[in-house]
Amino acid sequence: MDTPSATPASRTFNVPATATSAEGAQTLIEIDNFDFYYGAKQALFDINIRIADKRVTAFIGPSGCGKSTLLRCLNRMNDLIDGTSVKRGSVKIRSIDINGRDVDSIELRKRVGMVFQKSNPFPKSIYENIIYGLRIQGVKSKSRLDEVVEKSLRGAALWDEVKDRLHESGLGLSGGQQQRLCIARTIAVEPEVILMDEPCSALDPIATAKVEELIHELKKQYTIIIVTHSMQQAARCSDQTAFFYMGKLIEFGETRDIFMNPKNPQTEAYVSGRFG
Amino acid sequence: MPPDINTAADTGEPSSKFAIQKKRTRLFGLTLDETIRVFFGGNALVAVIVLALITFFLFREGSQFFGQNRDSLRTYRLAGLEYVDIIRQQEEDHTALTRYLFDIRLKAVVQLTEQGIDAAEINRRLAAFDAFSERYSDTIVPIRGLVFELTEVATDIKTRYNENEDYKVARKNFLAAGMKAEADEITIKDLDFAKEIVAITGTVSAYEQINNEYADALKASVTVLPTLPVASLQPRLERFRELTREYLATFPGRLATLKAWDNNAPVKWTEAFTQFIFGTRWLTASFWQDWYGIIPLFVGSLMISCIALFIAVPLGVGAAIYVNQIASPMEQRLIKPAIEFISAIPSVVLGFFGIAVLGQALRALSQWEALSWVPGFPYSERLNALTAGCLLALIAVPTIFTLAEDAINNVPRAFKEASFALGASRMQTIVRIIVPASLSGIVSAVLLGLGRVMGETMVVLLCAGNRIAIPDFTAGFTAFLQPVHTMTGIIAQEMGEVVRGGIHYRALFVVGLVLFFIALLLNFLAQKIVRKYRISIG
Amino acid sequence: MTTVSTNTFASRPSTGRSLEKSTFWIFRIATYVILLAGFAVFGDIVFKGSATVFGAFKTTSSFPYFTNTFLTEAPESLYVFEHKGEKREMGDTEYRAFREKETAAALAAGKPAPVFEAASYVYSAGGIWPCIVGTVLLVVGSMTIALLLGVSSAIFLSEYARDGTFVRFVRLAILNLAGVPSIVFGLFGFGMFVIYFDWNVSLLAGWFTLAFMVLPVVITASEEALKAVPKGFREGSLALGATKWQTIQSNVLPYALPGILTSSILGIARVAGETAPIMFTAAYVVRDKMPWDVEKISDFFFQGVMALPYHIYVVSSKIPQNEYTSRVQYGTAFVFLGIVALIAASSIILRNKLRGRYKW
Repeated sequence: MDTPSATPASRTFNVPATATSAEGAQTLIEIDNFDFYYGAKQALFDINIRIADKRVTAFIGPSGCGKSTLLRCLNRMNDLIDGTSVKRGSVKIRSIDINGRDVDSIELRKRVGMVFQKSNPFPKSIYENIIYGLRIQGVKSKSRLDEVVEKSLRGAALWDEVKDRLHESGLGLSGGQQQRLCIARTIAVEPEVILMDEPCSALDPIATAKVEELIHELKKQYTIIIVTHSMQQAARCSDQTAFFYMGKLIEFGETRDIFMNPKNPQTEAYVSGRFG
Repeated sequence: MPPDINTAADTGEPSSKFAIQKKRTRLFGLTLDETIRVFFGGNALVAVIVLALITFFLFREGSQFFGQNRDSLRTYRLAGLEYVDIIRQQEEDHTALTRYLFDIRLKAVVQLTEQGIDAAEINRRLAAFDAFSERYSDTIVPIRGLVFELTEVATDIKTRYNENEDYKVARKNFLAAGMKAEADEITIKDLDFAKEIVAITGTVSAYEQINNEYADALKASVTVLPTLPVASLQPRLERFRELTREYLATFPGRLATLKAWDNNAPVKWTEAFTQFIFGTRWLTASFWQDWYGIIPLFVGSLMISCIALFIAVPLGVGAAIYVNQIASPMEQRLIKPAIEFISAIPSVVLGFFGIAVLGQALRALSQWEALSWVPGFPYSERLNALTAGCLLALIAVPTIFTLAEDAINNVPRAFKEASFALGASRMQTIVRIIVPASLSGIVSAVLLGLGRVMGETMVVLLCAGNRIAIPDFTAGFTAFLQPVHTMTGIIAQEMGEVVRGGIHYRALFVVGLVLFFIALLLNFLAQKIVRKYRISIG
Repeated sequence: MTTVSTNTFASRPSTGRSLEKSTFWIFRIATYVILLAGFAVFGDIVFKGSATVFGAFKTTSSFPYFTNTFLTEAPESLYVFEHKGEKREMGDTEYRAFREKETAAALAAGKPAPVFEAASYVYSAGGIWPCIVGTVLLVVGSMTIALLLGVSSAIFLSEYARDGTFVRFVRLAILNLAGVPSIVFGLFGFGMFVIYFDWNVSLLAGWFTLAFMVLPVVITASEEALKAVPKGFREGSLALGATKWQTIQSNVLPYALPGILTSSILGIARVAGETAPIMFTAAYVVRDKMPWDVEKISDFFFQGVMALPYHIYVVSSKIPQNEYTSRVQYGTAFVFLGIVALIAASSIILRNKLRGRYKW
């Protein structure tokens, strides 16, 4: 992996050759004709997208384009905000409409985990942070918890760094470690999908590289959707990319195609750094 | 909903693995989480319920007051007490005039003493005046006699009426309890007011005759005025004659009122209200007639609040400006907690301090020669509006300080910096920028401080002197040195002693209701002002 | 001269400058007058009251060997009389015993019974133990109720509620409730608990009256403490599949609790300091039994108690001021002020400490 280039002038993208092709992958999430509102203000317009299983999908676009909103719709975190509503369309995961009446948002969130822009470890020990999700599900067995902690921390490539201080506060870790702790916490409950909302925006380049490496590892087991501001990041770690603008999905396709030969002029303008 | 899982499985998708359907236990159709939410929501509702309950119970206990007050006023009229009071008023006016004479004498004595004349000589020189004074006072004697007689009669009628009413209640209670025999033992003799009242109204011609004689005597007594040994007081005596003539002029009107008076005239509902809201007498447990007028209490509360705010506003706002704008960080760290600490001093302790120390200290201060130029100094009542006001100021200061400091703190830094950048001094910045920008916040702080002071009980109960009378404002500043009673104080003082359900009890609840609404009004105004201010800044 | 004035930035004395200075001094004086007034009240009561309290230490023959009669005895009447040319002061029980002993001694000696001419001063001997107990009971009970109701309301307002008519209504009610005079709460408590519920003058009535009075303070304080917990804690927990209640109880409340408690201590100070609400709902002028001397448990809740603030009111308004009575007056005020000041000070100190510690 090359070190990310920071200068916008030299926007050349290293699309990994290892990227698995979309063909053959199963569709996991189907979003059809989806409209979403904050109060009276429409935030998303007629979104249609098919997200593949066990792949990394990146949502890119300028600020306020609706990419984070769509991400938060996928595990219904928007329920927590006053006045939000789905007016039309559906989001289906494994053919189940997650906005359906019989769907429990709590159960949904156990299956669709989320990592936030600002790392938010709880002010508890690293160990307690990891097992939080299991604790609330009622898991009590000490051996099982220990096992999960090690597995999750290894999965998040954090085990070697923290194994000696599992019972120290999670707030004592560095920014990058905190974010990986949050990822470890998320995979501890074994979700199918991990949503990442600009997970690296507050991290330095080295910590970012580590998280990106981790994403590569994780996609073997999990479906990952990542919202990012950095196009390099999208190019480096995603298999598919969706470009949003003003609440509309402009273009969606293989990352290679989006960055190398975008079909839509707006996409081209954005990825070549002419706006946004 | 169990079937959902099955149907999802039926579609052939691997959805059974992705089980996100609801499967939570429900209680009355609510999940555990929803139940908790409802529980917390119910608790939040408590605030609303308490406010509603306060209103409800104050109304519940107080609402019958006006009906009872109306009954009381009706009895007052039916039994002829009102009639007697009309004549009594005449007597009281006369007493006021003789007091005027007494006042002249007092002044003369003081002046003569200053001239170094001994007491015997003074009495000799004032002999003519004293003779005049005595003659004047004596003119009222026949009227006074009449009033005395009528008072007896009216009281008798009222007592018999009230006893009868009590019997009726007792009988009803017996009947309700099914004790018919006991109920029958009670004989009820309904009073025929029309017949009874003759004993009072029948005296009108006698009154007319006595009154004419009285008027003549009065007129005669003031035709020749005595010469006073102190010439400077002579004009006051002239003025006295003037007053007497004015007094005499009211006689025909009074007679007409008496003649037209009818004990059967209905007592309007509005009278029960106006007697309360505009009544200048709060007179309870009297053998004659109880009066429940809130004005003396309201004026007392208002006066004490004025004194308190007069002291607390400059101090509180000044301190807020000082701490926020001028003081060093070290001072800030010390002063703010100290003032917060003052707010924690319980009011009853402050009240005790007033009784034990401040009352005497202020009185001693007033008796200090160097301060004798202050109007009203020296004074003799240890516990008065001033003492209570000073202590209430100490209660209001922390409220005003904290809120005003907040308001000043909320002025955007940019305003201050811009002013400094234009070369304004700190003083100019404070006066022209900081204070105007935070003015509405300060005003609302003052309003909330007023609310605090108006609602304070223990300090006024202990230190205001508890005399139920409207202070004599004709004397100017001295009014603030008189003992007063307050709305809060009267409730605290009399609530423990009244009969539950009686008119006095209900009157106290109505006073509480008035306090409650004053508090709501002040709160409302303060919020309104603050809200306006937020918009203007934003 | 001209060479000096070339510095155009040099400060020049002017009337404006001195006006500014004097105005600042006025503000400064205003501030210090407030502090001085507070200090005067505090100092006077501490100075004169501590004499009563510290003068009441006595040694005893049995265990703890050391006691403070003012803090541990019930109030008694004080008798002042002359005996054998000596001026003596005694509490009620001591005086009775003394009189009987002297009379018996005189009779045994065949002399006529001695005549005692004693001036009595109510409440001026003994101590204030029942009042301290009563105040503690009132504070503990009412704060328990207020915290339960208040914290629950705050959780609703900060975690569950969405802006709407209901919440606006609740907030308006809280705001207005905060401004209602304490005597009105007293009237309300009297009308509702004492009369309508027929609880009579009782601990229970006092608890609820006081609890409702501090409710706004507790709700506002708790809500602020809850709002200070970062949103990330809630989102992180919810994203892991926790229910709302699980999130609140394990990831919000524990971090808000210190803040809630500190601010609520100010509420405690207020509850302990109020007299008007308990005057007709819970306080007795004098009561012989201690609160735990009850026949059945339920009686405990339906008994009135003596309370410090009410005792101060009684001893300062119902008995005359003189050297004998002022001891108990100042002593009671001192103990009461000490308790309230301790509560308030601990709240202020704790808050300043926590302010630094809880940063996320």
